[in-house]
Amino acid sequence: MADQIAIVQAPPAASRGVGRSWSSRLRALELWIPGVVLVAIILACVVWPWLGTLPDPVNGHLDQPYRPLGTAGHVLGTDTLGNDNLSKLVYGGRLSLEVGFGAVAIGMVLGSLLGMIGAYKGGWVDSIVSRVLDMFLAFPALVLAMIIANYLGPSALNVTLAISLYSLPAFARLARTSTQRLREQPFIVAAKLAGTRDWRIIVRHVVPNIVPELLTFALLSVSTAIIIEASLSYLGLGVPPPAPTWGGMISMGQQNIYSFKALLLLPCGALFLTVLALNLLGDALRSRWSSV
Amino acid sequence: MASVPATSPRGGVPWAAAVRRATRRVAASPLARVVGRRTLQTVPVLLGVSFITFCLLTLLPGTAANALLPENATAQQVHALEHQLGLDKPFVVQYLDWLRDVIHGDFGASLGSQQPVSDILGQRLPVSIELIVLAFALSLAFAVPVALLGARRPGGIVDRLNVVAGMVGLSMPMFVLGLVLVLVFAVDLRVLPAQGFVPLGESLWRNLQHMVLPSATIAFPLFCHYTRVLRADIVDQMNSGEYVVTARSKGVGPWRILTRHAFRNAIFPTLTLVGLNLGTMIGATVIVEQIFGLPGIGQALVTGIDTQDIEVVIAIVLILSLTVVVANLLTDILIALLDPRIRHGRSHG
Repeated sequence: MADQIAIVQAPPAASRGVGRSWSSRLRALELWIPGVVLVAIILACVVWPWLGTLPDPVNGHLDQPYRPLGTAGHVLGTDTLGNDNLSKLVYGGRLSLEVGFGAVAIGMVLGSLLGMIGAYKGGWVDSIVSRVLDMFLAFPALVLAMIIANYLGPSALNVTLAISLYSLPAFARLARTSTQRLREQPFIVAAKLAGTRDWRIIVRHVVPNIVPELLTFALLSVSTAIIIEASLSYLGLGVPPPAPTWGGMISMGQQNIYSFKALLLLPCGALFLTVLALNLLGDALRSRWSSV
Repeated sequence: MASVPATSPRGGVPWAAAVRRATRRVAASPLARVVGRRTLQTVPVLLGVSFITFCLLTLLPGTAANALLPENATAQQVHALEHQLGLDKPFVVQYLDWLRDVIHGDFGASLGSQQPVSDILGQRLPVSIELIVLAFALSLAFAVPVALLGARRPGGIVDRLNVVAGMVGLSMPMFVLGLVLVLVFAVDLRVLPAQGFVPLGESLWRNLQHMVLPSATIAFPLFCHYTRVLRADIVDQMNSGEYVVTARSKGVGPWRILTRHAFRNAIFPTLTLVGLNLGTMIGATVIVEQIFGLPGIGQALVTGIDTQDIEVVIAIVLILSLTVVVANLLTDILIALLDPRIRHGRSHG
């Protein structure tokens, strides 16, 4: 009887084995391709300006505007003011990444702290925290960022702070739900019964368990934060010119849409590629971690 | 539910008893309880949102006195104006005064043009509402059939294309998409206008011509999002729903199972998403109206922030955030109405 079952079960098990190796290879690619692209983008934007081989992204030669792609000395051409497009892309990208990662880091730390404390303490602390966060979630992210950035005054740091305020409630919610799920787990109860202090339970037992989830969500949030940063600079409410930003480049490109399309397509492409890499990587990590 | 005597002991009015009986019946129904509880929960959120909005008013740079008085105004003039506008009162009193005015529909006047803000809203809101309604309609009209096709054969060609296109669509920032659409349809093909707006009353055809690209810009990411969620939920229902097995064994055709059984059970998460998305969409109208030069509420917001026209900015922010809160409430109610498990109060079982 046992042999029969083994024989009957063998073929599907074998074919499933082949399928798994293929799909696991595909899944590795899903993780590695966006990962490598993202690392390449980050390296290009962070290391390249530092090497000193790029022309200045501002104060270009006013007598050399609208150079097409492939001009000697300006691989991606120049803009309406004679600034090098490649250099602007790199410096703009550095700013986008700084703002994106910075805003999400602030939002993640403060937000998850609020969420964890709320869920761990429960009771009135929890209800006040959640109600206030609900209220902030009612404001569209871009609108909130526009107003706060305008109030704080236009600078990279202030734009970062304004965008972090958008990601904070979402992180708090996520941390809250995850902590609530953990709170009744035996190891937390055991730690409590052993007389461990609250902050120690949070740091040693709660945080390590919710960090993977938070980090995956953070990758997806960085892409949103970068889009909001670009939107703000496109609207002229972000980091002010002459600092090169992708949003500012897109705005300039739109003004020249009939005469010089590269000026629009270059920053659009850069933004799209960065956001796509972040989203694909976040997605791959999420499915990997949720299936384990 | 005790039966109420036909003649009310209290009432002189003959229909009072019937009304009371109906009220009691409604109050006892689980649906009414869900709706009532959600509505009550919304009230403090609405108040809190209005309070945060009012705080923003005081946060924004540039006071009313700066905007209304000439540069060389004396301290006395400034003081007199602040007194006249009630700015010297305590903060909470100012908030309550403002709230009272807003409830009466009085949003003050634009500091720039002196035009009443409610007039500005009256001109701008219809444009934005048309944009949002068209975007919703477009995205759902395409998402439902595509999701059904994908769920028909999970892992098939249609399904895989869906997944790839969905990821690309979700990663396409809205203004990149909008500008690419302008580049293709307005600059290269020259079939649609790149910018501008024609009121609905003037010419329906030309109005739609101007609205196609903006609403498609908003609709595309939503379409990708809805397709993805809806497909996943339909597949889920097909795999786990016992009623699917029952229907199959009765000999019901696969399309009929998909559309009549799985789809109906799978639609709720997507509906919730539609409600939640409204906030994102409202943020999107700001960008999209700017790209396409539509005279909507988002454009007014950007101009208002640029010119520090506090009254206009505050009114718009208030309306946008209240819309989000109310949309979330309506979504919950709609789901309670549509879902028989909630409607008949068996949600806890």
